[in-house]
Amino acid sequence: MRERIASHFDPFVIPFLVGMAFVLGYCLIAMIRVIAQLPKEDRKRFLVSLITPKYLWMDVRDIFLNCLIHVKLWKRNRVLGYMHSSIAFGWFMIIVLGHLEVMLFVPERIHLFYYPIFFNYFVAETEQTIQGSLLMFLMDFFLLMILSGIALAVIKRFASRIVGMRRTTRLSLLDRVGLYSLWAIFPLRLLAESFTAHISGGSFLTIPTNWIFRQFLGNDLNALPTWWAYSIALGVFMCVLPFTRYMHIPAEMLLIPMRNAGIRIRHSRKGFALLEVYSCPACGVCIDACPMSVQKANCKDCTVYLNRQLRRGNERRIEEISDKCLLCGKCTAVCQVGVQGPELRIAQRERRKYALSPSFADINVRPMASAVVHGAGGESGGVLYFAGCMTQLTPSIRKATTSLLDKAGVRWQMMDPDGGLCCGRPLMMAGRTEQARELIAKNLEIIRASGCDTLLLSCPICYKVFKEEYPLDDIRVVHHSVFFQELVASGKLQVQKEEGLKLVWHDPCELGRGCGIYDEPRAALAAAGEVVEAAKHHTESICCGGSLGSLTLSFDQRRPMVQNALDNLTAADPAEIVTGCPLCLSTFVRQADRPVRDIAEVLDSRC
Amino acid sequence: MDFGFTLSPSSAVNLDTVDHARYDRLVQLAPDALTCIGCGSCSATCTAAPWSGMSVRKVILCLQRGRDEEVDAMLSRCMLCGKCTMVCPRGINTRHLILTLCRLDRKGEVVR
Amino acid sequence: MVNRTPVIAVIGAGIAGLEAARQLKDLGYKPVLIEKAPVVGGHVAEWNRLFPDLSPAADLVQSLSKGAGSVKTYTDTEIASMGRLKDGYSLILGNGETLLCDAVLFATGFHLFDASKKEEYGYGIYDRVITNRDLEQWFNNRHDPRVANPKAVGFVHCVGSRDVKAGNTQCSKVCCITAIKQAIEIKEEFPEAEVYCFYMDLRLFGKKYEDFYIKAQRDYGIHFIRGRVSEVGEAIDGRVVVKAEDTLNGKPIKVTLDLLVLMAGIVCNPDAQHYAREIGVAVDEDGFLRSRDNVSSIVESSRPGVFYAGACTGAKTIPETLAEARSAALTIHQYFNKRK
Repeated sequence: MRERIASHFDPFVIPFLVGMAFVLGYCLIAMIRVIAQLPKEDRKRFLVSLITPKYLWMDVRDIFLNCLIHVKLWKRNRVLGYMHSSIAFGWFMIIVLGHLEVMLFVPERIHLFYYPIFFNYFVAETEQTIQGSLLMFLMDFFLLMILSGIALAVIKRFASRIVGMRRTTRLSLLDRVGLYSLWAIFPLRLLAESFTAHISGGSFLTIPTNWIFRQFLGNDLNALPTWWAYSIALGVFMCVLPFTRYMHIPAEMLLIPMRNAGIRIRHSRKGFALLEVYSCPACGVCIDACPMSVQKANCKDCTVYLNRQLRRGNERRIEEISDKCLLCGKCTAVCQVGVQGPELRIAQRERRKYALSPSFADINVRPMASAVVHGAGGESGGVLYFAGCMTQLTPSIRKATTSLLDKAGVRWQMMDPDGGLCCGRPLMMAGRTEQARELIAKNLEIIRASGCDTLLLSCPICYKVFKEEYPLDDIRVVHHSVFFQELVASGKLQVQKEEGLKLVWHDPCELGRGCGIYDEPRAALAAAGEVVEAAKHHTESICCGGSLGSLTLSFDQRRPMVQNALDNLTAADPAEIVTGCPLCLSTFVRQADRPVRDIAEVLDSRC
Repeated sequence: MDFGFTLSPSSAVNLDTVDHARYDRLVQLAPDALTCIGCGSCSATCTAAPWSGMSVRKVILCLQRGRDEEVDAMLSRCMLCGKCTMVCPRGINTRHLILTLCRLDRKGEVVR
Repeated sequence: MVNRTPVIAVIGAGIAGLEAARQLKDLGYKPVLIEKAPVVGGHVAEWNRLFPDLSPAADLVQSLSKGAGSVKTYTDTEIASMGRLKDGYSLILGNGETLLCDAVLFATGFHLFDASKKEEYGYGIYDRVITNRDLEQWFNNRHDPRVANPKAVGFVHCVGSRDVKAGNTQCSKVCCITAIKQAIEIKEEFPEAEVYCFYMDLRLFGKKYEDFYIKAQRDYGIHFIRGRVSEVGEAIDGRVVVKAEDTLNGKPIKVTLDLLVLMAGIVCNPDAQHYAREIGVAVDEDGFLRSRDNVSSIVESSRPGVFYAGACTGAKTIPETLAEARSAALTIHQYFNKRK
């Protein structure tokens, strides 16, 4: 290889250089801003993680697997997985190989930014070496890989169903500019390299194209304009990148180490939240996943559009989208980047100004506390059962739960026999965290007074908040489905199994995605009948539609969502629908065509 | 002359003079408040009611009658647990109603 | 039309179907009654006594079925499918027979709301919670152990009526008066019992209803509480604790009862919807069949030869249902006269 341009420069590299300088500068400033916006302790934690080998290894691994290979997307949809990883990984490899070429053949030019990108323009092949041919082959190979990905992307844009997506995102104008320039980059690179392949050399892709072009086009004449076009496409793409969804590429590379360091959303517009918003690739997977999308009008309120509106600062729409969401968490479960849609919305709700705020600090809970002290009869230990607000409206759950406790010979008492205080989770969902803390303090007084060693919940909404927000280190917080599964497994509850009785388990959002409990309820149900699965289940289960998460969805708007969730559950034609949440139960009972029961009821009726 | 008692303004609600700006704004933002039939389900089931007198039914009524002090006292005890939404026979989104009201000042303006 | 006696399929042999069939027969037509249940009389046959005169329901059913005595009646017979013909309708019955008819009269009535769907009232969970139908059956046969010398009895109005959550936004019309009737009957059986009626609005519009209400207040001392029951709990002794708001007083109210009677409301009959779809008759949003006009022609559908009588178009009292059955018969008569 020898250099053929004496000045090592040609004006066509300018668009690329401008774009590169712009995007690097922009990202650097953005990165500093995000880090500066973190609360002090978060910032420290993040910076420390960057010099801790364990975290560093995790960061590198996760960036490689997620940003380049897109493993999560592969698991979800192979076509989309291939499409994204071919472009991302292929591009990455072309950059790496470009640098290798420069290092190998013209190491003195490595300081020139544009050299590895436009290597083939600046060199002429003098002799064929094994390394050279191998590099050329790999370059062509990865270029072909990218081109196949681009082809899929074009197909996806015009016929999303072919790649298994029912709905795809509507793009903004700049997104389109970014998209078309991205599509243009690699075909132009192929053309440019082909036109110079008889000088710089090439491989299985560029040499034959060079030959074909020679038949009817003068290669030398076309070479420079194509290299210009290639550079312009790169430049345009990089210049618009910060204002398009492609900002997710640099943003995710910062998001991953921050998430690994355990940083959480504290403010809906600053720091980590900002990073999540910019990490959204606007792929639109959340649109099909969102339970609200059964009505087309709600598609515009999915997380992808929340992110877009947050970037645009459209306050009216941000408020609307934030308040509507059921907070079921399914968008996060399916998201490739793991954008936390519910947390972003809660943070947004927290920012809201109120003329009036409730206060609970002055509530006297001594009567309730002394009732549980009395109930415990001076003995410590035992189970304290907190039915919670929703279970008061589903007496079947309360009755079955207490009956099972008696049958298993458990020493128990109720925390709220005549109603108690709310657990605080609904206030938290509404963004009223401070008020929720006041309730938590009051409930803690009662729990501590009881001297119990186990706090039993039959409501996943309560369970989540007791588990995550209450400092109850020495007290076990357990959902009744888990507690009863243990009693069944240990033989303290003898359940009669009915062969052939098909039961489907509905994963309540707060229990499944919220607390990661999937297997215990199924194991308990397996003792009573044959467990069948819904069409979508586990992390992808569909919210019942009754969630307290939504502040604005009306009863009528929820009805089609409930029906959709029921249709999903009855895919395997179960005899009964079983759940572990009083709110899911009440919601389903109204519209179901078959019995809906709580897991406690199912077990209690069979032992 | 002191008769040992004084005449105080009538406690009757005078609909001619009642200021219901907050109610008017509420029904703009949460129109389902208009459909309340005052059945009392919400108050009966309310988790806060036993110790606070909270009642969505009364909140809606008091707003229409200009009794704002009572409204504020009740709203400041709501835990947003959602039981009232569950039992309302008219399907009123009571949590939205309450949160919307909490955002309004006395003149019915949304605080920013 | 050929010169033969027109055949009219009357779907449902409740009181509307029986009365309409009798009238049609008397007008010279050939009605055919098709009843899903093994016996005729519908919901009324399950009732004990009727408001406001406490006349036995059995007498009414007996006289109506006697009137329709010579009418061809299929009991215990479902309709497998219905279809439109050029000049009439065809019904394929569950027993395999095909019935060709010139007109169809829907007398499909209503369903009693499934009270267990109102989870919070604990029907099917608490022993002491029963429905209006359960209580009528106790009046009929005195077998139900749940009704054992109660000291305190409550009636919950509007269970599954005027309730979007229950899927029925309509007023069932008869529950207020039925609750008062049953409350009086309970008082007659158990004079010592305290009886409470929990209502949203008392809708006592019919003839003699207000008199009945006054009697309940004055002669029986029944307590009327304006507040919809929101929750029912269970005390340790198995009695039920009812929570409501006493809205007139503006305070929550709680009472422990030996027996709670849920006034399950009138909801649409899904079978009727199914048949209506098969022959192209419109169904209202509330699930009841749609009349051609809600003022002037409530017994007519918008399709020629399809008529309605009774609760298939909405909740009705017995006198209203009987009047409609006669009205439907006359309307059918006019329909055939015009076609001649």
